[in-house]
Amino acid sequence: MTISKLLVANRGEIAARVLRTAKARGLATAVLRHVAEQEGPAHLIADEVVMIDGPTPVAAYLDIPQIVEAAKGIGADAVHPGYGFLSENAGFVAALEKAGVTFVGPTSEVIDLMGDKVRARAFVEERGFPVAPSAIEDDDPASFVERARAVGYPLLIKPSAGGGGKGMRVVREDSTLETEIETARREGERYFGDGRLFVERYIERPRHIEVQVMGDGQGNVVHFWERECSIQRRFQKIIEETPSPALTPEQRDEICETAAGIARAVKYRGAGTVEFIYAQDGAFYFLEMNTRLQVEHPVTEMVTGFDLVAEQLRVAAGDGLSAVQADIPQTGHSIELRICAEDATADFRPAIGNILLLDEPQGEGIRVDSGILDGGKVTTDFDPMLSKLIVHGPDRAQAIARARSAVQSYVILGVTTNTGYLDAILAHPDFASGDVSTGFLAEQSETLTAPGEDVSDLLMAAAALSDERLVSDVMQIPEMYRKMGGWRN
Amino acid sequence: MQRIFQMDGEETDCWLGHDGSRFVLNTPTGAVACQLDPTGLPGGYKLRAKGVVRELRLAVGPEATFVHMDGRTYEVGRVDPAERLAGSDGGASDDRLVAPMPGVVVSVAVKPGDAVEEGQPLLVIESMKLETTLTAPRDGVVAEMPFAEGDSFGLKDILAQLAPEEE
Repeated sequence: MTISKLLVANRGEIAARVLRTAKARGLATAVLRHVAEQEGPAHLIADEVVMIDGPTPVAAYLDIPQIVEAAKGIGADAVHPGYGFLSENAGFVAALEKAGVTFVGPTSEVIDLMGDKVRARAFVEERGFPVAPSAIEDDDPASFVERARAVGYPLLIKPSAGGGGKGMRVVREDSTLETEIETARREGERYFGDGRLFVERYIERPRHIEVQVMGDGQGNVVHFWERECSIQRRFQKIIEETPSPALTPEQRDEICETAAGIARAVKYRGAGTVEFIYAQDGAFYFLEMNTRLQVEHPVTEMVTGFDLVAEQLRVAAGDGLSAVQADIPQTGHSIELRICAEDATADFRPAIGNILLLDEPQGEGIRVDSGILDGGKVTTDFDPMLSKLIVHGPDRAQAIARARSAVQSYVILGVTTNTGYLDAILAHPDFASGDVSTGFLAEQSETLTAPGEDVSDLLMAAAALSDERLVSDVMQIPEMYRKMGGWRN
Repeated sequence: MQRIFQMDGEETDCWLGHDGSRFVLNTPTGAVACQLDPTGLPGGYKLRAKGVVRELRLAVGPEATFVHMDGRTYEVGRVDPAERLAGSDGGASDDRLVAPMPGVVVSVAVKPGDAVEEGQPLLVIESMKLETTLTAPRDGVVAEMPFAEGDSFGLKDILAQLAPEEE
């Protein structure tokens, strides 16, 4: 099958990024826009913009019948889902299939399998890939405590129906195991109406390392190396990089081959990411597989030189992979910073405002995937991520230096962003040495949000002198009073 | 002219004056001679103050001024003391300017019957060694200017009254 017209069923920076590659490949392009949504870069790139509506802007982007109708209505023969929204929704894939529209991504069966964390884990474990030692109560409730004990300490008790960290308990000593299980069960019942539990080995100071894979759907799979994503706030990544500073070359090959093996086992089609928990002792365990393009895919593109969206479109059109494993290099070092409209000093509270001035960095080794325009409005209708700043350097130290210089020169005025916070992370000695875990931002929050040099006098002078009414009022006062002004005699 | 600036939740009272050759910002910690000149960049300025020159990017929003300087971004909230007081006087605040504190009228710029635009200076007052220009809270016609230059007034006296808005 060939693809001649692509609808991008997404918005913001990822829509713009996918559209650029699609256009470069000569496809006709279209993108969605909610009726109340600000114009963004994607709307300027696409040949066509399809307006959608819904009770909320997010609801419109999740409205499967409306989006399938939109694709059919404009004669699109393929849909790229981006990330988030419907990108991992098996029902969306099935609806498109029924309408004769190609979904740029894996089959609905694989999305279903990987979307069910317990099934996915069992699938991976049965095929001999590493998962954290665990015990599931439902397998045999009578022996649950014995099996939990056999997992070894420290261990983590989780409600089977849980999420968001609620009801999770760390157990370090056997003497407290049974009382903690009962407490966790009560919490599970209270929060989720379901007291069933499972336990797994608790990994102290873990790192989050993931591997980019790409398959042709016929069992051929290549990997595009790893990404280190341990810098997280509120369980969400904000800085990602490749290569991981934690891995030796042998560990890198092992973790990347493991990921490719898991993808091969499901005859994976398209781009996917296998996520691992990496322990301080070098052991790693399967966490989950994301069956879509990731936010942080650009760092992989920077070190490999491959356009992952172009690969996705090739595979979707049935043209297969463009490379074999030996053709995929990992050159230099790349770091991505997620620029978010949020206040890092106020528990990352999302910020809103009008973008009064926008000047994005550019130059050698700098890429900006932006979802905003100068003069645009930032609302809380969508995710607070505004854009991504990606840099590449010959080695990690030079990549960090380049990232700092670029983020410092990133001018977004009119809405609070996390640029200063990102720079503080890059400047932290533990980040420089690579000695971080997923708890890093929480552990270092005071250091990272410490106020800098006091320049308030300069800022007030700038604010006063740029206040046209104030300046004009001052100049209108008769000179005698002007000179007398001020409260200090 | 007085301004209150807000940074990180803290308010600072400042006074901007001009000594005939340059602007001087009086802050609670001292006087800062300062000068702001545009560069070629959008929102680009050179700030000369405290013996140093800083390049900055700046955008003036309705309530705050955003400044990008030395790789960091700052937000400086601006409060016009006159507006704050005018706004604190309940429903009729749109029609009249109320004295924030006892003081003396320095100058009067309009007379009853004059049409004024929002933001247009109506009079300058001095209170507690601070000079403040009070401006029209909206477009309208001046109904009453109860005080003349040199008059003293008390707290919450009405300093200017606009004719009621026609529906």
